[in-house]
Amino acid sequence: MKEWQTFLRRFSDMREGKRELFIKDLTPGKAKYDTKHVIGQVAKTKGILKNPDILWLAGESGERVKEPWYISIEQVLEEDWVAGKPWEDVLEAVEKSEKARGFK
Amino acid sequence: MAFNSHRDFFEKLEKEGELACVKKEVDWDGEAGAIGRKTYENQGPAILFEKIKDYPEGYKISNGTTGTWNRVALSMEMAKHAPVREIYKEYETRVDVTIPPRILKKSQAPCKENIMLGDEVNLYEFPMPMIHQGDGGRYAGTWDVVINKDPETGWTNWGMYRFMIHTKNWLTGWPQTTSQFAFIMNKSYLPYNKPMPVAIVLGADPLSHVIATAGIKPYENEADHVGGLRREAVELVKCETSDLMVPAHAEIVIEGECMPDRIAPDGPFGEYPGYRSGTMCAGVAVKVKAITYRTKPIVTMIALGTPPDDSSIAASLTAAVAMKKGLLRHGVPITDVYVPPEGVTHLIVIGVTKGGIETTRKVLDYFTLRRIMTNKHIVVDADVDVFNMAEVLHCFATRCHPGRGILYEWYEGRSNSLTPFYSPEERRKLKGCSVAFDSTWPPEWEKEIVPVKSSFKTIYSKEMIDKVNSNWDSYGIKL
Repeated sequence: MKEWQTFLRRFSDMREGKRELFIKDLTPGKAKYDTKHVIGQVAKTKGILKNPDILWLAGESGERVKEPWYISIEQVLEEDWVAGKPWEDVLEAVEKSEKARGFK
Repeated sequence: MAFNSHRDFFEKLEKEGELACVKKEVDWDGEAGAIGRKTYENQGPAILFEKIKDYPEGYKISNGTTGTWNRVALSMEMAKHAPVREIYKEYETRVDVTIPPRILKKSQAPCKENIMLGDEVNLYEFPMPMIHQGDGGRYAGTWDVVINKDPETGWTNWGMYRFMIHTKNWLTGWPQTTSQFAFIMNKSYLPYNKPMPVAIVLGADPLSHVIATAGIKPYENEADHVGGLRREAVELVKCETSDLMVPAHAEIVIEGECMPDRIAPDGPFGEYPGYRSGTMCAGVAVKVKAITYRTKPIVTMIALGTPPDDSSIAASLTAAVAMKKGLLRHGVPITDVYVPPEGVTHLIVIGVTKGGIETTRKVLDYFTLRRIMTNKHIVVDADVDVFNMAEVLHCFATRCHPGRGILYEWYEGRSNSLTPFYSPEERRKLKGCSVAFDSTWPPEWEKEIVPVKSSFKTIYSKEMIDKVNSNWDSYGIKL
């Protein structure tokens, strides 16, 4: 099971279901912390997911949640970025993109 | 002769006993940062990590290039133990002199020894460190020189801004919205939806990095001022993918484009005020187009955090001199300005020849006029040595009237979002507040009612001071 990490302003911003996220690969080695822009199913427990990976949530001061969440990656997006202008809030831009994709 | 490269300077540091070369293998993932941080906090030497986990023999990480006043003095070819006051004075004299850079051919430039272009670009081929556990990623740019250019005027800005590895060929960074980097992007590229060429330089000569922290005025090239500071032209070479000119002796030059329509997460990061305070996901994205580098490259790092470190020391010097000049232009009768590294450019000490609330008001006006990186300003009389924080603290404690000696001002859109005490909402709106502490005697007080400082130098007659000094050895008191 691979481990990933994603950053949020507040832990409570994370919700279960289909999500678009930037996640960091925690696999040891030269490319550790590489970012993937993905669409995946996110849940607090692994039971309901197919081939889940561990997903650590980190807050805006870098603190991690005590217990990890889980993610089943459905698609790695080609774009390493999200549309937006410099200095705009990336998390808001991702939320906008999720809405455009019809995610709840 | 000025130091031409990071390597030249590190040789000097080694000779002066200011460098520790770590032969033991060290992990780029937190360990190098932790060692760097502990070393700063104990006023230790600069460090060269010579063996890095996962990376080829010869790839190195350095930390703490000018992280103490001794090393700043050496970088300016001054005596190692030169007092801070003298370093300030020397910097102040040199920084106004401009010497245009000398342009080298590509074949003469060590930074072109190796070139990665286009699809070959892979930032993971370099031991960019994960500096603090919990950061948003690996920071390639900490002790860097970031270069961008205004195409209309040719003005080339050098600044020091953080840049994090996003993927093998993308960086994300966070030059503040009030920075000169942002000014050029917003003025000359964003309105036309054009990407802006950027170069992120690691491991140039030490003073090129110091000048990148300076508040050189817009439309003036730092490359000219670093010539003055070095007393010798800095050598530059043209980038592979843009017309930007970069320090030719640099260890690594990352060439890219800051995108006008794409963003990606940056941060959080343990920043220069000494906290990881929540500024993240609000920066810029840079597509990397080329990396040029010296053989056996050195990645330059600052394990940023609580002071002192390279950032708080360099900014103490460069910010104070810029502020002194600005305050003089603003009509404040300045003796000197000191930015104590411990105050991480949030706390400024201003010495004035004529004190009082009017002068203090002028000081606060100056500091709240434009973008605002500072927030606490202690104004002291000329009899106080601004470089001596014990004297400053005594003066503040005893001369600042809590009822009428404290002035403050709120503002929006111009504050420093890295200031830890601002709420998340204040940071987002760049809302802030600055205060000035009038720690001077009111000028309207008659001379005979001004309290006399009870110190050896001030409460005794010259005759008594001379007598005691000349007889000192005979008293048998060792100080």
